Amino acid sequence: MSEATIHEAAESPGVVGELRARFGDDCHVQVTLDAIPTVWVPRERIKEVMGFLKTEIDQPYPMLYDLSGIDERVRQHRDDQPSSDFTVFYHLLSIDRNEDLRIKVALAENDARVASITSVFPAANWYEREAFDMFGVDFEGHPNLRRILTPPNWKGHPLRKDHPARATEMDPFSMSEDFQDSQQEALRFIPEEWGMSTKAKHTDFMFLNLGPNHPSVHGVFRIALQLDGEIIVEAVPDIGYHHRASEKMGERQSWHTYIPYTDRIDYLGGVMNNMPYVMAVEKMAGIEVPDRAKVIRIMLAELFRISSHLVFYGTFAQDVGQMSPVFYMFVDRERLLSIIEAITGGRMHPSWFRIGGVTQDLPDGWDTMVRDFCDYMPKRLAQYDKMVLQNGILKRRSVDIGAYNTAEALEWGVTGPGLRATGLEWDLRKIRPYGGYDQFEFDIPTAQNGDTYDRCVVRVEEIRQSLRIIRQCVDNMPAGPYKAHHRLTTPPPRERTMQDIETLIQHFLNVSWGPVIPPSECSVTVEATKGWNSYYEISDGGTMPYRNRIRVPSFPHLQMIPFISRGFMIADLIAIIASIDFVMADVDR
Amino acid sequence: MRWRLVKVEPGESMEGPDQVYDAQLSKGMLMAKLEDMIAWGRSKSLWPFNFGLSCCYVEMATAFTSRHDIARFGAEVIRATPRQADLIVISGTVFRKMAPVVQLLYEQLLEPKCVISMGSCANSGGMFDVYSVVQGVDKFLPVDVYVPGCPPRPEALLQGLILLQESVAQERRPLSWVLDEEGTPRKLKTSQRDLRTPERMKATDLAGPSTVGDAPLSKDLLRAKSPRTD
Repeated sequence: MSEATIHEAAESPGVVGELRARFGDDCHVQVTLDAIPTVWVPRERIKEVMGFLKTEIDQPYPMLYDLSGIDERVRQHRDDQPSSDFTVFYHLLSIDRNEDLRIKVALAENDARVASITSVFPAANWYEREAFDMFGVDFEGHPNLRRILTPPNWKGHPLRKDHPARATEMDPFSMSEDFQDSQQEALRFIPEEWGMSTKAKHTDFMFLNLGPNHPSVHGVFRIALQLDGEIIVEAVPDIGYHHRASEKMGERQSWHTYIPYTDRIDYLGGVMNNMPYVMAVEKMAGIEVPDRAKVIRIMLAELFRISSHLVFYGTFAQDVGQMSPVFYMFVDRERLLSIIEAITGGRMHPSWFRIGGVTQDLPDGWDTMVRDFCDYMPKRLAQYDKMVLQNGILKRRSVDIGAYNTAEALEWGVTGPGLRATGLEWDLRKIRPYGGYDQFEFDIPTAQNGDTYDRCVVRVEEIRQSLRIIRQCVDNMPAGPYKAHHRLTTPPPRERTMQDIETLIQHFLNVSWGPVIPPSECSVTVEATKGWNSYYEISDGGTMPYRNRIRVPSFPHLQMIPFISRGFMIADLIAIIASIDFVMADVDR
Repeated sequence: MRWRLVKVEPGESMEGPDQVYDAQLSKGMLMAKLEDMIAWGRSKSLWPFNFGLSCCYVEMATAFTSRHDIARFGAEVIRATPRQADLIVISGTVFRKMAPVVQLLYEQLLEPKCVISMGSCANSGGMFDVYSVVQGVDKFLPVDVYVPGCPPRPEALLQGLILLQESVAQERRPLSWVLDEEGTPRKLKTSQRDLRTPERMKATDLAGPSTVGDAPLSKDLLRAKSPRTD
């Protein structure tokens, strides 16, 4: 990066200038490809900086969007950054500015400590626990700094470069009785550890362990409940039972072969997960994707949004007591998946996007299938309105249950339909159109009360809007190549590998070693099925990512459960959980 | 029983009582050994435990719903507690943090119990050879049927279920309290790939990827212009 660009960024108005004015030369500006202002601040001042950005600054940053670390110890290309062994980064979001901001703090290996910012941003609680778990960074002043993703008695910090990545590098797994007992004992919920008392003046509290296997927690998720009768006094969600180490996995897969792992993050979102990842890599590689590939991507992503919302719709109705709807919605989903299958060959995890485009062109006859579906679905939705949304019991079970307002949503890092249900028109596809969404007409559905019912209503309306987008895709599918003509497109167009030796050599290298992405940092966000999903990719000039951070929407959503369920009954908690619409792979990764 | 319509004339008798009795005997009675009956009954009434780990569980749930309808195979009685179930489908990745819980749930299943390992992760760790994942549920549970796929289609799970049923139907369990041997030997697992390869190699016409009309699933979609009511 040239001196001139760094100078330019430092002089620029906006938040960087404001930070400089306040904190002087303590700020060091780093230029990243994603154009998110990135500022290094001294660790002693992190709380002050966060307080300033959240409350004092004009047009503040009310949301802590992401927080994690980077193990910098073996990174080669970082001349433009202050020296650091472990870096903690904070990703903030401003609604007023429609802008992101990244703050970084450098830590030394033998002194990996930084002040906790949980007093400024409550959402930092889980993120700091995760950074502690993964990197061993000590967040001083954190209310309960303990492991969150790995088992409580785990040794080591997995995302450190010296922790083994493969299970086959470690001792073989065996389940002795002692091991089982010690693991179960470690998972025991002890109320005192969470600052809970076992009795109050007139009552003894009951503690209920819900999960990690329970039919209505949507996967392997556990909540410990402190109950006064059937009223929830406090809830402690416990996650990590679905930790598949997808971030560590990125550090050993080539840029190309990592794509299938993204499908399995939000496993109901299918190719929607490929999108932010390949877009980040394309930005780093400097690839411009052809129009046809963009529209194909949008069409498939929206089909998967419908598929995910249909699963939500059915299971939500089921969780509040309606047995039948889920059968109808799964039939529609089968119809939809038959289109996905005809186009991609896969059902849930097609891994169909490629760096620079998509795998192959659309098959003949795809448009008839998609049009059929667009004609068929609205009638079904009208039927479901009567069956589900207008059902009196469902309304009584969900209206005014688990409500929060916009400010609270931002405070807890809520994005997606859960945020729009509070009345804020905040859809990334509209406010910062990416990947070609600026070419489409659609509305942003919102609701007003932010309760369980509204979260459902918003998603149902989103199905209709997605159908609108899909129809526009069918009617206006551009002609042309489905892959970019660029040397880092992986794999390159087949016709060319057959014709010219240079492309064939590139193809060999890209497949055997993987494409080499120039040293850079880039984060790309999309409006995924469950909220905002980002891939923050760091390349050290190799064939694999140096660090691969996946910001998932459901992680903060689950953190908010205690806040919105206190004072309700257990049955309400089930409705609240259903309305959040999460899958555990989208939480624990 | 055989039925026929005749005009009844006064004074004319119908078939004698003996014939009716014989017909009844041949239609309505079954002679079998008790242990055969029990094996047959067990195979057609496996009660799965409502348990899922990750992506595969969505395909498992799809097998419960209309188009695939697991009830056709007598395995739709899905119980929320292991103490009422005798089949556990390990549908998804077996995580190290979750493994002791899976073990505990398995122990609580009713005897005699069966395990279907569904999907690559449960079979072998699959694409997740990574620190937090157990490399196959058979590291600590006895598996009866392995269903390959990532995730397997619902049809594949149903095939796995049928294989399990065949295996259970061939099992002969001691019926008295006088037990001869510890446990019941179950039939050796054979690879379906090896069994089916000769038949599959006969296929000559495969649907090409460039036309969707040939794909079996889409055919009915293309034909049915009006919305179906399924």
